[in-house]
Amino acid sequence: MSTKDNELLKELTLEEYKYGFTTDIEMDIAPIGLTEDTVRMISAKKNEPEWLLEWRLKALRHFLQMDMPTWQNFDHPAVSFQDISYYAAPKAKPKLNSLDEVDPELLSTFAKLGIPLDEQKVLAGVVAVDAVFDSVSVKTTFREKLKEQGVIFCSFGEAVQEHPELVKQYLGSVVPQTDNIYAALNSAVFSDGSFVYIPKGVRCPMELSTYFRINAENTGQFERTLIIADEGAYVSYLEGCTAPMRDENQLHAAVVELIALKDAEIKYSTVQNWYPGDKDGKGGIYNFVTKRGICKGDNSKISWTQVETGSAITWKYPGVILKGDNSVGEFYSVALTRNRQVADTGTKMIHLGKNTKSKIISKGISAGHSHNSYRGLVKIAAGAENSRNFTQCDSLLIGDRCGAHTFPYIENRNKSAKLEHEATTSKIGEDQLFYLTQRGIDPEKAVGLIVNGYAKEVLNQLPMEFAVEAQKLLAISLEGSVG
Amino acid sequence: MIGLKRQLVRKTQYKHKGDTIEREEATTVVDEALAEIGSNGGLTKQTMITQVTDSLYKQLIRAYEERMPTEEGPHSLDEIRGQAFKRFEKLGFPTVKHEDWKYTNVQPLISQNYLLDTSTSQAEVAIGKAAIPNLDTYRVVLVDGIFNAELSSGIDVPGLHILPIQEAFDQLSFAKYFAEYADKTDNPFVALNTALFKSGVFITVTKNSVLEKPIHIIHVASATEPLFTQTRNLYVIEANAEAELIESFITEDNAANNLNSLVSEIVVHENAKLHHYYLQLAGKQSSYINHTEIYQKKYSLYNNYNCSFPGSAFVRNNINVRLDDSQVESHLYGVTLTAGNQFVDNHTVVDHLKPHCESYEWYKNITQDTSTAVFNGKIFVRLDAQKTNAFQQNNNMLIGEKSAIYTKPQLEIFADDVKCSHGCTIGQFDNQALFYLRSRGISEAQARVLLVHAFAFDVTNRFANATVRKYVEHLVEQGLENG
Repeated sequence: MSTKDNELLKELTLEEYKYGFTTDIEMDIAPIGLTEDTVRMISAKKNEPEWLLEWRLKALRHFLQMDMPTWQNFDHPAVSFQDISYYAAPKAKPKLNSLDEVDPELLSTFAKLGIPLDEQKVLAGVVAVDAVFDSVSVKTTFREKLKEQGVIFCSFGEAVQEHPELVKQYLGSVVPQTDNIYAALNSAVFSDGSFVYIPKGVRCPMELSTYFRINAENTGQFERTLIIADEGAYVSYLEGCTAPMRDENQLHAAVVELIALKDAEIKYSTVQNWYPGDKDGKGGIYNFVTKRGICKGDNSKISWTQVETGSAITWKYPGVILKGDNSVGEFYSVALTRNRQVADTGTKMIHLGKNTKSKIISKGISAGHSHNSYRGLVKIAAGAENSRNFTQCDSLLIGDRCGAHTFPYIENRNKSAKLEHEATTSKIGEDQLFYLTQRGIDPEKAVGLIVNGYAKEVLNQLPMEFAVEAQKLLAISLEGSVG
Repeated sequence: MIGLKRQLVRKTQYKHKGDTIEREEATTVVDEALAEIGSNGGLTKQTMITQVTDSLYKQLIRAYEERMPTEEGPHSLDEIRGQAFKRFEKLGFPTVKHEDWKYTNVQPLISQNYLLDTSTSQAEVAIGKAAIPNLDTYRVVLVDGIFNAELSSGIDVPGLHILPIQEAFDQLSFAKYFAEYADKTDNPFVALNTALFKSGVFITVTKNSVLEKPIHIIHVASATEPLFTQTRNLYVIEANAEAELIESFITEDNAANNLNSLVSEIVVHENAKLHHYYLQLAGKQSSYINHTEIYQKKYSLYNNYNCSFPGSAFVRNNINVRLDDSQVESHLYGVTLTAGNQFVDNHTVVDHLKPHCESYEWYKNITQDTSTAVFNGKIFVRLDAQKTNAFQQNNNMLIGEKSAIYTKPQLEIFADDVKCSHGCTIGQFDNQALFYLRSRGISEAQARVLLVHAFAFDVTNRFANATVRKYVEHLVEQGLENG
């Protein structure tokens, strides 16, 4: 690499994390450690029914018996589950009726994050937001308006109180408690999250959105999202995440379950920008998330879109179980890693129904000393007649100390299925760069252009407002990285 | 508990080293294992070994202990065997929990009873099945792994040295290369082979020699009682030499069940060329677990053509190419046609260790009836192996109603200035193409043969030897007609 490249790389690594502030708010934090009592305490705090406590305890017992997986493509950090607190919430206050009653500190935090919590400012009303601060859902906007259509959009805790039958029916039906060690942990200690139910035939009139924020020290964030689209319903959901800069690592182990019934469609987008740690890999969030959707009914569709730029380690495989005939699963991903970040991500497409289709587009960009892995499973069961899969996973390398890895698993047991997979690895083409610079575009902008072009297929899948945000995020993260 | 701990140790080991384990580390692990064995008093409870397979495992241990005092050959060989056996004891037979054996269950094979000696080998065997029409060769025949001088012919030519491996132990060039390569992998069958192999051949093509005719090695399975053979080959192609090597596998009609473990180490020196063909023609009594490890020096070329046809019930091939110097070129081609209840698994590793190398891999699988084909291709581009060009393609035709295809085309890239890509497809007969051919008066059966022929053409047209190519095309046709 030339000196210029080195300088630019250096600049890139020093690029600051602009969401790294902390908020001084009175917090209610559970004592450190994990026992049955912790689980009981969380359950009691949330005023949960008996069956949910039992469900949690069952998960905890599983968790205690499970071993850490060792198949992942990075050194699993030693996470000491007894050294973190499993519950942190802004001090309980009487139930809030309007935004005026929300702690102004909290409001200003969300303002800094650029989240339009304040309904007044977003009268245009394109997005309804549920903000999750540490473990607790703080405020859900536009609830009343959504209610008119029968759409339920509330915090998970509220859903347990108000719609226990729905929660009971679907909780754990896609990601069972025993699925993996972090799913078991989440099932035992999850504190809040979002709940969405779209009734039959309703097209949700606005984008639903959740912002996650880890604030307190020594806490893990374990939220749980459950989205149910009833027959013929449609919903587009977006989550965004940030955290303060801290020297120690923090654990984020969420579970997201999507259920699409007959003719329903769910579109789930993530813009993940947790604190990635500093340039030596100190600190940062461990983002170990289990996300899975099931196309339960015929003609249903689930689409995952993710833009991953943050976290010290990102480890997740949003998947779709294509159970209904003619159902469709999609996965679009851009994962950008730099410094010492690690991303081991991809998807699982399980084809069970007839004429099911899946499409996977994964774009990895690695810079600095980072490692980016695509790991995906496409499985065609014997009964999945005429199934179709297309997979493309490309990697872009910036700098000569990073790595790109591809581990696709393709399993076919059906005679009429057609599958395609392709992957490429390369660096930014010198001819492309030359072409742009000789037309008067400076190298930095040129790289931005090329990378945005490279990721366009995925960014195009995001809802408009967020596509712009994601594009900016990529540009910031990549500033100065001529490779 | 001990077993569990050990499993964890093992797994971490794989993860760190990818496909190779370093000697020191292996030794420490062995030490630990010994400590455990000691504390358990003799044989340990091997988690990797089920009750059923205890017998073969114990049989092998006994065989090893018995041969120790009477071991011929130099002391260094003794030592290598000892270390290898410890490694095998440590690893045990693989189960499907092991990533490299995920789709390949060897338990049914190793739970049978076998003789470990060739006392029931037949003296007179027919090698006509392996004959390649119109091809004149230097013929080497191994009956149950043992070199048969009477059936071999025309091998006394300048530039070519062929020795039964047990007569090669005291040769300097043998000691230099033996167990230097294959034993660095974590394949338990290699460790077992190193410890207990009894026969095989050591072939040297001397400096600057260009062989006129191909060397044809015919492996015949003949024993009338169930037999487990462990054969070991070492091929050294010295500088500027050129050779063609064809290995055919056949089974005597009246042979009993047999399991064959063949380990071949190949060194291709500077500017040397080797074309290496595997033609798997064995009968259904025969099962194979083969491991081929190739090391290449500067400017060398190694081409492997790996062809499997209906017959042998179980075939596992590991082909690992290490491009250990710059300006090296390797090509791996494969055609696998399966029928009946066959299982064929091809695992390849292309390991780019140095810059400016090129590799090209193309495997085609066609599965009929209830057969299963597995492809696992891995390309490593190590740190600093810049300017690498690596290509990998795997195409599959799943024809059988109940057949299955599992494929894992993987890339692991640690350098940025490289061009790497892989592709993978699974499909069937194109109905339009079939219709087109039939509308022109070609019978359906013939049309299918034509289409498979065309499918395999990408690979077969790259065969360096036109006579072998014709022969392989004929075998594909034959395999389709009978299948």
